[in-house]
Amino acid sequence: MALAIPAELESKIDEVITHYPVSKRSAVLPLLHLMQHQFRFISDEIVNWVAAKLSLEPIQVLEVVTFYPGFRQTAPGKYHIRVCRTLSCAMAGSYELMDSLCQAAKIDRSHVDHHHPIAVSEDGKYSIEFAECLASCGFGPVCMVEDDFFEKVEPAKAGELLARYSA
Amino acid sequence: MVQDLSTLTAFIDGEPMRFNDGDTVLKFIDRHRGRGHVPTLCDAPQLEPYGACRVCSVEVAMQEDGPRRVVASCHTPLTAGMHVFTESPKIRKLRRNIVELVLTDHPLDCLTCEVSGNCELQTVAAKVGIRQVRYPSGANHLNRSKDRSHPYMTSELSKCINCSRCVRACDEVQGQHVLSMHGRGFNARIIKGLDQSFMDSTCVSCGACSQACPTSAISDVFFSKSIEATRKTRTVCTYCGVGCNLNVATKGSEVLSIQAPTDSEVNHSHTCLKGRYAFKFVKHPDRLRKPLIRYNGHFTEATWEEAYDYIAKNLQRIKEEHGGNAVGGISSARCTNEENYLMQKFIRVGFGTNNIDACARVCHSPTAWGMQKAFGTGAATNSIEDLEYTNCILITGANPTEGHPVTGSKIKQRVMKGVPLIVIDPREIELVPYAKHHLQLRPGTNVALLDMFAYYILEAGLIDQDFIKKRCENWEEFEQGLRNLNLDESERTHGVPREKVRAAAIEYASAKGAMAFHGLGVTEHSHGSKTVMTIADIAMMTGNIGRPGVGVLPLRGQNNVQGAADMGCQPHQGAGYLQVNDEANHKLYEEFYGAHMSNEIGWKIPQMYDAALAGKLKALWIMGEDVVQTDPNTEHVKSALNALEFLVVQELFMTPTAEFADVVLPAASFLEKSGTFTNGERRVQRVNAVIPPIPGTKSDGQIVCDIMQRMGIPQADYTPDGVLAEIARIVPFFKGATWENLTDQGTQWPIKEGGIGTEILHVDSFKRGLGKFHFFRFQESKEIEKHHDEFPFILTTGRILEHYNCGTMTRRTGNAQIVTEDLLAIHPDDAAKKGIESGDMVRIFSNRGEVNMKAKISTEVKPGILYTTFHFPENLVNMVTSSECDEDTMCPEYKVVAVDVEKVPASSMPKKQRMMEIA
Repeated sequence: MALAIPAELESKIDEVITHYPVSKRSAVLPLLHLMQHQFRFISDEIVNWVAAKLSLEPIQVLEVVTFYPGFRQTAPGKYHIRVCRTLSCAMAGSYELMDSLCQAAKIDRSHVDHHHPIAVSEDGKYSIEFAECLASCGFGPVCMVEDDFFEKVEPAKAGELLARYSA
Repeated sequence: MVQDLSTLTAFIDGEPMRFNDGDTVLKFIDRHRGRGHVPTLCDAPQLEPYGACRVCSVEVAMQEDGPRRVVASCHTPLTAGMHVFTESPKIRKLRRNIVELVLTDHPLDCLTCEVSGNCELQTVAAKVGIRQVRYPSGANHLNRSKDRSHPYMTSELSKCINCSRCVRACDEVQGQHVLSMHGRGFNARIIKGLDQSFMDSTCVSCGACSQACPTSAISDVFFSKSIEATRKTRTVCTYCGVGCNLNVATKGSEVLSIQAPTDSEVNHSHTCLKGRYAFKFVKHPDRLRKPLIRYNGHFTEATWEEAYDYIAKNLQRIKEEHGGNAVGGISSARCTNEENYLMQKFIRVGFGTNNIDACARVCHSPTAWGMQKAFGTGAATNSIEDLEYTNCILITGANPTEGHPVTGSKIKQRVMKGVPLIVIDPREIELVPYAKHHLQLRPGTNVALLDMFAYYILEAGLIDQDFIKKRCENWEEFEQGLRNLNLDESERTHGVPREKVRAAAIEYASAKGAMAFHGLGVTEHSHGSKTVMTIADIAMMTGNIGRPGVGVLPLRGQNNVQGAADMGCQPHQGAGYLQVNDEANHKLYEEFYGAHMSNEIGWKIPQMYDAALAGKLKALWIMGEDVVQTDPNTEHVKSALNALEFLVVQELFMTPTAEFADVVLPAASFLEKSGTFTNGERRVQRVNAVIPPIPGTKSDGQIVCDIMQRMGIPQADYTPDGVLAEIARIVPFFKGATWENLTDQGTQWPIKEGGIGTEILHVDSFKRGLGKFHFFRFQESKEIEKHHDEFPFILTTGRILEHYNCGTMTRRTGNAQIVTEDLLAIHPDDAAKKGIESGDMVRIFSNRGEVNMKAKISTEVKPGILYTTFHFPENLVNMVTSSECDEDTMCPEYKVVAVDVEKVPASSMPKKQRMMEIA
């Protein structure tokens, strides 16, 4: 099954590649960001596509994907939540926030490990993972739902937060 | 900045030492204190410095008692006056702690480990003085599963120390990018491909990773790294013209494993899966072990005495009844120089005929011919080493990553470092994604394309006037020819847009130095010699001859195809390329051999077949060549062999050619004999027997000496150095060669007195005096003219990495499990028109015959072109190839065959006949 790349995305990709005239290999990272934005995660198919686009071997793309936790290798839910667990947030209750978000969204995190950091709710609507510092240490615990940023999220109000993303 | 030599001094533990410009701290220490004085884990001589493990840490200071800093010595550049402290207490403690931490995540099962005794981790642990691991056992990776999927490569990543040596070997030595590090930190681990097994990944089994791995995390099924051998013998690989040096480990008469020596100038610790792993054919049960004589149509086992008597009697009879010209010999580019020399001597002296040829006829004879016409010497002008100095690489009709893997990976490495590559090839070969220019021409139109290429160099004013004026002749005629080119017609002929040709031509001509490689895609055409001469023209017009980083380099196919021609296995030239019909040469040969010799040019291989069919050639002696399976137009070859009165074949296995013989003599393989091979860069290298010939067999050289003695032709017993000494007396460019002075690295001919070799030819003047330009206008191949209307597809053939020629050897090794069949590549548009899907059985037919094979739909070929490899002769692709050949040398036109193709309905599929059982 061939990967369907929208023409608009491909022209954007072609434009981005021109920013790296010395080595196309440097374009791996920005291309992966664009692809993740479009397809929600980086599948093997995408790895192969990016490699072919940049005349690289697929492994040269995969090694980048696996190096950065920001790239997802499995499909997230419709709304992806990232909870900060770095020191200030952890002290302010990010683990409690994680628990109550999981409970509210019906997410089982028991299978999560380093290689599979994302857990998805049964209905596929929500997914969640811990993230490192989201740069608002004075207002922990913080989390992001998709690209929306939330500070001082009280664990008890997890349900309220999710209700905003019920569509 | 130029360093004053007096300042090139630094200190190791207080002692002043000289260093070389560009040294790292580690290189400097290694040179003066020996490798291993400073322990290392992630450093390896064949790899770039990496600085990951920090075990090589030392303290450095700019003054003896000045402030010190800890650095990784492997990647720290040395500066003048630097003080290096290799053994301070602080450093010892640091190293010990690093190794201790490594050991917390390493199984301590040394006693049962494959590499125990040869393990670098073990050595380093001992060196830094580990007596205990103080850390409690915590999270670890000790239960990773083993990968035993591949016939050769193995991995057991619980033994991995994350030094990345395998990843770097794959990238920096081979250039395959199969291995990498997945994840990071504690979870980092080595993966193959997209986290696959060795077998499922795109691994080419070169073994570079295995050789680089310091533990047994990546190894091979032969335990090459840890082998308990009684002997290691250095010899030269038999699989292609690169001439890789090999270190072969043996125990008694058993070949255990093969590694590539790190000090080899040819292959620098690298080789391919054929050289490293494909050696199990040596003791294969199919090996011939007794001479066979055909009585009443059936082979009967015989003693060597009986066989020799029978041969001598028959050859004498034929010589007496029909004259010496009724006898011919086909020598082998697989055999040594000494054996080829003896073979041509046997035929020329024994029968007074020049009917001697070799398999170079069907591959690079146009190169030898064409380059002699242009330069005076039919051999590579430069060395492969010159890739280090070149500014542009042009490859015409060659697929080095498959055919000449080590040269292919060297080219890839240079191109990855930014040297522009131009590929002229009808197919999208593995190097094409790396190439700046790919001129994808229609097969058979090389001359048209290269003429246009030359035209654009001329038009852009990028010719080297000075070089042309001082060093060449016939320029005016060549220039006139180019100026009269009809570009429209030319473009229509080869099918490459002219702007692409122009851009590539300008790239080549404006480079400070450009190297031109070519292969059988140039020679195996009706205009093969003319293409070679046109490549020579292009090199001369741009002054790309006679200095480092330039030249014309044919990628010689077989291990000793250069040598076979050098030794005189050609019907028109004797040993040392002296024309046999020249009076002075004829006299020289007669005096040298003390015999009556012929001064008439003999028959080339295709002419021998015609002569046999005409009843003129009665006896033929074939040394190590399977002409039935490899020469074109199989039916024609078979009927020629049938027409002979007497056929002798020296072989390792009962090949389809041997089936036709009256006497089959069991020969020894390259691992069982000594002599010399000459590689594609004229390097004469010593081949050393690693085991004695298996019982019942003899080396080809021994056999030829025996039969000469039996027939009363004066010939001493076979010794490699003895025959080499005789060669040195008659072959001018071997004058200074002796067995001793060839050394381990070999010597490039011409070899002057004292064993001095020559790296670059035609430095001040050409061998023939002036370099000669030749202009040729494109002419359509007769094959296309005659058959294109009826058979509209063009079939072209090539090689694959895993197999060698018709697979007589490689298909009796584990390689047969890696690639199991030849496939026919067809463009998706054509496949759609013909209703063919990938994996379908298709029938390819020409006016000579038909073959069935499996289709592979691929855009590697353009519409109208079909491509297949030729390693599985049960497909009998030569049933369809033609008898058209190069006009000058009769090299067959394998690369252009007019065929048609259709899908075979499943019901009518013939049962595939396998000619060989794979062990």
